Amino acid sequence: MFSIRLGIKNLSRQKRRNIITILVIAFAFFGYLFLESLLNGMEEMSFDNIRDFETGDIQIAHPEYWPERKELPLDHLVEWNEIINDEIEKIKGVSGVSPELRFSANLNNGIDEMGVIGLGIIPENYNQVFKTQDYFSEGSLFALNENKAVIGERMAELMDLKMNDYIILLVRTREDTFNTIEVEIGGIVKTLNPIINSTIVLLPLHLVQQALNTENNVSMVSLKTNFGQEELAQQSIHEYFREEGLPLEAYSWRESAESVIALSTTKKSAIGIIMSVVLLIGMVGIINNIILSALERTSEIGMMKALGMKEWEIVFVFMVEAAGIGVMGGLAGCLLGFLGVNWLVNNGFYIEAWGDMTQYGIPILDRIYGVWNYYSFGYIFFLGVIVAILSSIFPAYWAAHKDPVEAIYQR
Amino acid sequence: MPLLELKKVKKIYQQGKISVPALRGIDLTVEEGEFATIFGPSGSGKTTLLNMIGCLDTPTEGEIQLNRKRISELSKKDLAMTRRYNIGFIFQSYNLIPVLTAFENVEFAIRLIGNLSEKEIREKALKMLEEVGLKGKENRKPGELSGGEKQRVAIARALVKEPKIVLADEPTANLDSETAQDVIKNMVKMNEELGTTFIFSTHDPQIMEYARRFINLRDGLISSDKRGK
Repeated sequence: MFSIRLGIKNLSRQKRRNIITILVIAFAFFGYLFLESLLNGMEEMSFDNIRDFETGDIQIAHPEYWPERKELPLDHLVEWNEIINDEIEKIKGVSGVSPELRFSANLNNGIDEMGVIGLGIIPENYNQVFKTQDYFSEGSLFALNENKAVIGERMAELMDLKMNDYIILLVRTREDTFNTIEVEIGGIVKTLNPIINSTIVLLPLHLVQQALNTENNVSMVSLKTNFGQEELAQQSIHEYFREEGLPLEAYSWRESAESVIALSTTKKSAIGIIMSVVLLIGMVGIINNIILSALERTSEIGMMKALGMKEWEIVFVFMVEAAGIGVMGGLAGCLLGFLGVNWLVNNGFYIEAWGDMTQYGIPILDRIYGVWNYYSFGYIFFLGVIVAILSSIFPAYWAAHKDPVEAIYQR
Repeated sequence: MPLLELKKVKKIYQQGKISVPALRGIDLTVEEGEFATIFGPSGSGKTTLLNMIGCLDTPTEGEIQLNRKRISELSKKDLAMTRRYNIGFIFQSYNLIPVLTAFENVEFAIRLIGNLSEKEIREKALKMLEEVGLKGKENRKPGELSGGEKQRVAIARALVKEPKIVLADEPTANLDSETAQDVIKNMVKMNEELGTTFIFSTHDPQIMEYARRFINLRDGLISSDKRGK
């Protein structure tokens, strides 16, 4: 079609202006793809952070304990024994089982006191499910029979605690009487999770069970599953509990990650805003380009009208030009975006210089890594081209609607 | 039946609250195959009259018939269609599309007609460029052509769709006298060979001698209308 050919050939006019518009679109697209990768990377790291340090992939709890779990109650506990443990371990997809007893306590260093969450664990099992062991800045995880605790680096700073210091945890037992746990600090961790770093005290399970008088009961059991087998494992565990008549439920980690899921919603809004800004930049660039082109070609538009071209045919020529600019800007933007995201995925964005981000709830120690989202490349490209075409309609119609006499003689 | 008939055509422009009459009541009849010039001083209404005839503008009063069709009452869309099929334009400043070659500029006009095959379009455009003496320069862009050559491309573009009438508004104003004569001779040749009606406006007495009809316009009225050899 001749109008398409003319529109494409018109792209060779005002090369500098077209190149600037193409670059503006390209950098806007690059910015979107880069930031989207960064935000998705942060989200993925946040999700990993929840699973790797707080919940595992699945949590088993009593259905009446679950809604109250944030209050750290000591009733509706799980009567966990080796038989159940072995059966759960045998379920397809389950790769780690970690029983834990959660409780609230006041940590006393001899001078100050602060509220903490105590977590009684079996070290061997805990290491199968969580990655805390990889983040010790001092010491190591205690053995099951040791009277030692592990605290986070942030908590150590706040309470002025060092390795081998003794701490006292003031607790309420299951019968609501007071008790204390005195332990030596055997390890200090600096994980990617701010809750672990500032609030949690890890202790041997049997020690906690004795202090709280909970016998062999635990609050929850965290499970690790093989990649992609979480749902299958969760279903199998449900079936096992039903068959055995056990009053237990298996919950996905997502149910314990409302705050991060909420962050994910915020991320989607942020991406939406970024995309709107990017498309707005593209729109302004295209509208500016078409208006300037139309002003420069006024007499040419008049000639086209004199030749008998209809208004929509003239509009179409400008739309082809806008589409051409959109396609070139989009391709350049996707290329830049590919390079940027590739760098972000492989090298990460170094943020340690900004300080300890875990203090602000951002679960990152030194680098943020991006993630690939190939769908975004196609999506932003096609959306960009469509917006470019649509943006050209109004200024093109304005140009095509000119009175032919006024246009020819540029009055 | 005449090809073109104007009856008491008036055109009044509004400039704020002031009415400026450009044409004060033109009666004119043009037969097929005529080669007529409209001349007169600046502001006499030459361009306005050509715009009326060329369906680019509509009269304030009066009636215009082109090829037995009353064009003074047509809608914008119908005026565009009338221009597309019946009228060729040649402008003082050529108004060629700079990114298209001479061939493509001519091809552009014929493609709008839309009822010819690719082969026919190509043959017609090349033939027309040959007729105006541009054989071998078909692939040159306007920037690579002289002023006279550009105007010849414009003539080829106006004629390639075989319009009933070609309107030229001071087609030689931007050319030196030798090139101007060359261009006008080309228009005469096309008029004689194809029988196309030409109406052109000019100031140049040297060019006027090629016309066979002389319409003198003064203050928006025809002051004389003479026929030559």
